[in-house]
Amino acid sequence: MKRFTIKNMIVATALLLSLASCEKSFLELNPPTSLTPEYALATEADLQVALRGAYAGLKSTSLYGRSLPVLGDIMADNTYQSVSNTNRYTSFNLYNYTVTDGDVAGLWSASYSVILRANNIINSKIPDNANVLQYKGEAYAIRALAYFNLVRYFATPYTQDPTALGVPVVTVYNPDSKPGRAKVSEVYDQINRDLTQAASLMTKFTNSSQFSKYAARALQAKVYLTMGDMTNAKTLALDVIANSGFTPVTAATHAGYWAGVAPRTDKVETMFELSFDAVANNAFDALAYIYLQSGNYGDMLCSTELYGKFDAADVRKSLYATGTRGGLASVFVNKFTSFSGDHTDTKVVRFSEMYLIAAEASYPSNAADALKYVNEVTSRRGAPAIATSGAALLEDIILERRKELAFEGERYPDMQRLKRGIVRSTDYPSSARTIDYTNFRRLMPIPQGELDANATIKTQQNPGWN
Amino acid sequence: MRKFVAILLCAVLAVTQVSAQNRTVRGKVTEDGKKPVANASVLVKGSTLGTKTDDNGNYTIAVPANAKVLSFSALNFETQEASIGSKTEINVVLTAKVSELQEVIVTGYGTTKKAANTGSIAIVKAADIENLPFSSVDKALQGKVAGLQSVASSGQPGASQSILIRGASSINASSQPLWVIDGVPVNAGDASRLQTTGNLLSTLNPNDIESISVLKDAASQSIYGSRAANGVIVITTKKGKGGKTKFRFDTEIGNSDVAYQNPRYLPLDANEYINITRTGLINAGYGAATVNAQAIALGEGNGINFNWYDNIMRTGSQRQLNLSAEGGNDKTTFFLSGGHFFQEGTSINSQLARNNLNVRINNKATDRLSLGFNMNVGNVSQRAPLSGGAFGNPLLSTYFLLPTYSAFKADGSYNYVLNGGLHNTLALSDQDKRFLRQTSARGSLSADYKIFDNLKFRSVYGVDYNNLEEDQYNNPNHGDGLASNGRAFAYYTRYFNYVWTNTLDFTQNITRNGDLSTSTQIGYEAQKSAGYFSSLQSQQFPPSLTLVWPASGASPTTASATISEYTFESQFASTNLNYQNRFVLSGSFRRDGSSRFSKNNRYGNFWSIGGTWNIDREKFMNNQKIFDQLKLRSSYGVNGNAGIGNYESPALYGFGFNYNQLPGSAPTNVGDPNLTWELNKPFNIGLDFSVLKNRVNVTVDWYIRKSENLLLSVPLSTTTGFGSATRNIGSMQNKGLELSINIVPVQTKDFRWDVDFNFANNKNKVTSLPNDADIVSGSYIYREGVSINTFFLREWAGVHPGTGDPLWYDTDKHGASSNVYPGANARILAGQALPKYFGSLTNALNYKGFSLSAQLYYSFGNQVQDGWRSYYLGSGFGPTFNKVKRQLNAWTTPGQITDVPKYVYGGNKNFQGSSTYNLNDGSFIRVRDIQLGYNVPKATLEKLKLGSANIYVRGTNLFTWVKDENLPFDPEQGTGSSSNLNVFIPKTVTVGLSLTF
Repeated sequence: MKRFTIKNMIVATALLLSLASCEKSFLELNPPTSLTPEYALATEADLQVALRGAYAGLKSTSLYGRSLPVLGDIMADNTYQSVSNTNRYTSFNLYNYTVTDGDVAGLWSASYSVILRANNIINSKIPDNANVLQYKGEAYAIRALAYFNLVRYFATPYTQDPTALGVPVVTVYNPDSKPGRAKVSEVYDQINRDLTQAASLMTKFTNSSQFSKYAARALQAKVYLTMGDMTNAKTLALDVIANSGFTPVTAATHAGYWAGVAPRTDKVETMFELSFDAVANNAFDALAYIYLQSGNYGDMLCSTELYGKFDAADVRKSLYATGTRGGLASVFVNKFTSFSGDHTDTKVVRFSEMYLIAAEASYPSNAADALKYVNEVTSRRGAPAIATSGAALLEDIILERRKELAFEGERYPDMQRLKRGIVRSTDYPSSARTIDYTNFRRLMPIPQGELDANATIKTQQNPGWN
Repeated sequence: MRKFVAILLCAVLAVTQVSAQNRTVRGKVTEDGKKPVANASVLVKGSTLGTKTDDNGNYTIAVPANAKVLSFSALNFETQEASIGSKTEINVVLTAKVSELQEVIVTGYGTTKKAANTGSIAIVKAADIENLPFSSVDKALQGKVAGLQSVASSGQPGASQSILIRGASSINASSQPLWVIDGVPVNAGDASRLQTTGNLLSTLNPNDIESISVLKDAASQSIYGSRAANGVIVITTKKGKGGKTKFRFDTEIGNSDVAYQNPRYLPLDANEYINITRTGLINAGYGAATVNAQAIALGEGNGINFNWYDNIMRTGSQRQLNLSAEGGNDKTTFFLSGGHFFQEGTSINSQLARNNLNVRINNKATDRLSLGFNMNVGNVSQRAPLSGGAFGNPLLSTYFLLPTYSAFKADGSYNYVLNGGLHNTLALSDQDKRFLRQTSARGSLSADYKIFDNLKFRSVYGVDYNNLEEDQYNNPNHGDGLASNGRAFAYYTRYFNYVWTNTLDFTQNITRNGDLSTSTQIGYEAQKSAGYFSSLQSQQFPPSLTLVWPASGASPTTASATISEYTFESQFASTNLNYQNRFVLSGSFRRDGSSRFSKNNRYGNFWSIGGTWNIDREKFMNNQKIFDQLKLRSSYGVNGNAGIGNYESPALYGFGFNYNQLPGSAPTNVGDPNLTWELNKPFNIGLDFSVLKNRVNVTVDWYIRKSENLLLSVPLSTTTGFGSATRNIGSMQNKGLELSINIVPVQTKDFRWDVDFNFANNKNKVTSLPNDADIVSGSYIYREGVSINTFFLREWAGVHPGTGDPLWYDTDKHGASSNVYPGANARILAGQALPKYFGSLTNALNYKGFSLSAQLYYSFGNQVQDGWRSYYLGSGFGPTFNKVKRQLNAWTTPGQITDVPKYVYGGNKNFQGSSTYNLNDGSFIRVRDIQLGYNVPKATLEKLKLGSANIYVRGTNLFTWVKDENLPFDPEQGTGSSSNLNVFIPKTVTVGLSLTF
């Protein structure tokens, strides 16, 4: 009996120990919906997938999903917040935003998130072929666009001081780096290098939702205009007009153009836009939601002063409607038409802007050209032709730009590069109607989260921000 | 037979005669027939004559002729009497007193006697958690265990509860304890993905629990290795005791209402709102025309004064019903139970119903083999409203919706046009659907085989199965479904978690007389938890509000399924050496491997040593009268916290960053090839003693535990493309004192008064951070030398009496103040979110059949943040949302001293910005439980053929005292102490009946 139980004990112990040598794979489990970078970026097709991820990053609510178009107008004089509102962008309406502002932090971090996605594509070691070069070209353009936005919102305008502090230029992934701010000129150098490279690498046009060679050149024209480099701005704008194969939207097609929600393949007007479809959209945070009165929000209204600038026959005026909100007569913005099903896409670069850039860039050297190009726009909008000269012509070009690009986020960057004070209509709160060019809030603060995490930049905050 | 009776009679007569004379009796007192009991008292009953036994247990005593009985007593033994009769030698075997020290307590992977226990283990018994109006056992633990902080953040029935044992030891990994139910380490916590909360433990009926052991120190925890650092809660469910089948029936019914409500934080009525808005518009500089237009637009003079608060709050009902049967024979015992629990929250659209079944069968197959089976199945059906800033959150709407907008139109239909685009939550409560249905099955199959009498093999296969079906419908007319013309979701979540545990238990006397003995266990355990998640959504719904399932949507927009798994493979051993129950030395070791750990650090070793000295068993204690029990314990060890994500170690690219409905990828995780568990090194020293004839029982523990290799979300410069990376870096320390006192001040035949008091003080400090640099996380800071979850905010300096402007201190130096919202450098350490000390005081009075008990829970020394203050107390910020009464104290005239700045439409100089104004002292005392009961007397019971009958009235959270009169909401707001407009925590009154038969 005793021997028997000893045997049992040995068997039991052996059993116990044999169990202990479980299969090794029992402890090796791979993540089910993610890949390690070496597998995620292994082939040409992977690169294309990663490129879509970079575009998706630009769709963030903090970027072209909503903030960029809204901030560009509310920080200037085009759009204001209704007294009846859901409290979005209030501090920009009041011009009292702080270093902890969520929209500021979002613009900063979402831009750098896109830059990382683009960097990884650009730095990929996959052997070159036409497709790979196209993807890399698009990634260069995306990176340039992200830096262009950062430098315009967070840094002194190039036209003011190219040696001022810009933003950190990051082109290689290093999670532990704590970069300081490069000079404004260095940021623009990077942007121009990227855009030149982008244009040279890209050979394909798919549709308006992706960068193409001429979309990159068109963006670069805008970059040069922003730098005050009128020669290069004009050259590039005219190159795009002459050689891109794009055609401008006309008075007849204007209403249909803005009602369209799908990316275009016909090279009409839209050179680059971010596509929001029925599935991948920002739902309640969609751009259209904050303007259209048919949803729950409709917080943002068109300044009555801007509305008054449109001639009655101007087709652009039909993108606005008048009514009452919060008990007050208001002008509603109907430029972005869809927040249900396929959503309105956000325009980033339009062909018509090339005429405006050409006009403004021609103005210092060739007023006749300036007049000619600006009327390429007025003539296609049913607006009266511009016939002024001298300083009045420049004002008219800038006004035409304001009318054409209203609610597309261009107004504040224009006021920055032109170093102008912003005078807002009485629609705005009385405490925030005159925003001098020297007002420290004209530059966004480096977000507090970045200061907390990055010792280098901690001492490089914009002036006026404590 | 007759002859026998005659002899017996003679003998009795003889005894009577003999006992009339003085004589000597001698004998021996032993423990088990062999082991002598020294120093035992031998007394002649009814006299003062007595003696003591010598070292060999022998005694000699002279007894008077009329003496009839000798009484034998010794420390730790039951007193025993023996009739003297004609005997001259009386040998007595004393039985050890079944005192607390001999109680069997459940530990990890087994049981131990209290005398042999070296660890700090708190026991909660069934009676303490039965028939409480709580949806899960974690809520019932509040105040029951010294050093266990159980804190709610929502009054939603079925909401998850945070439990911290001996403080928080982690910043970014889990701080929640490991739950072990009948030997199975289970998945616990909040498993909801679509709904706001879904506590896995809510499917377990607390009435099915026999006991709960809370393992608080290294000696008790470390056997659970890499998952022990936050403490272990070991639950044992009820077993049948055998014998005649006994039934038990419990039922109760009641109502609940908001436990704490501050009148200063009730919303304004229409007049108040319009008045303050007019003032605000004027203060903002608007002209008369705009002021009038806007006041009218906001409802001035429209005759509506709708009280959203009263319409959304309600009295919730509460009921439960439990039935059990137990019985069996000497081979097989069983326990069966079924329960039903229903609870409504204190506001609309909040409820939970649970039904559950429980079976346990134990069988002795042979003398050596016994088998066990148990299965506990529960189903929960829960409705929970949205929380936080969601427009559909009823609580948000009580504070944000204007009283000048009614929920109803004149014709009685719902009004969909409300201020600020907010939703009519009364309509949504009616027309939208939000469901969570959860089914859990927890059970195990076990076999015990006695190889020798002192060697046992045990194998347990346990399963822990949870599934959650979360469904939601948002109607096409109003609210979240409007933009998509109606939408519906169906999320399915399943966790299948199995554990196979095999152990060998070995006990052996080392010295022949048994003075030194050992018990040792070795074991192996493999565990895998497999999560499966599918999610779908469709949009574009037909107009009928009865078509609420995704099948009716025309446009499917989400179709997703994925898995998430983890595995553990472990070997463990524990042993203790016991010398005469005086000295016990224990040790444990566990080697854990887990899929969660990186390849470079896949296995970890964890251990503990512990010792105890039962001083009361020492000879020198025999002559003292102070201590009835005296025990010193201490332990030290190393264990871990594996509460990290399943796939956190590798650098990752994620998918779903799609464009034009084609797949897109992006970096999602920085990764760390060395990522692993957090280390926890607890040291504990404790003293248990009883004095005054066991009328006062005290347990004191002092501990210090150091946590290292903390898993930290280290903030990165966002220019890298990432906001943070997870690293094993940093360390922390918790130290504290715990005290539990049980006193019986009065104990008579009919009356007993019990007092239980417990106290815990925990001092947490972060001891190292990467590069010694602060980590700021929202309103909190992690800084060396400072407690975790310390608020880090700009310092509020008051309202300028001349201008009514808000003032803040310019810098963190508490110097000059100004009306400019200061920069980041002005932030100060503004108090901690975790209380400095907490505990409870329970008084229980029993008189004949009546019982009255009351538990006070107290918690002191923390700050609570009002997460949404800026909207309803922002002095004009968000002006189209309603405000609270306290806003009426806004500054109006120069010279006025007030704590609320001038009301300016649109906001007064960033007063809404976060500052210490958002903080209130969170100290509170609450009558957690008060109960009056009556036990029906035996005589009546016999007539009714009942075993016992008890009727009671119980109040839960009936009274709450808070230190700060400006504390807006319930002081319990999770471990982060930040309110988020969750369903308010209820106070409940129930009446109940308990029968056994």
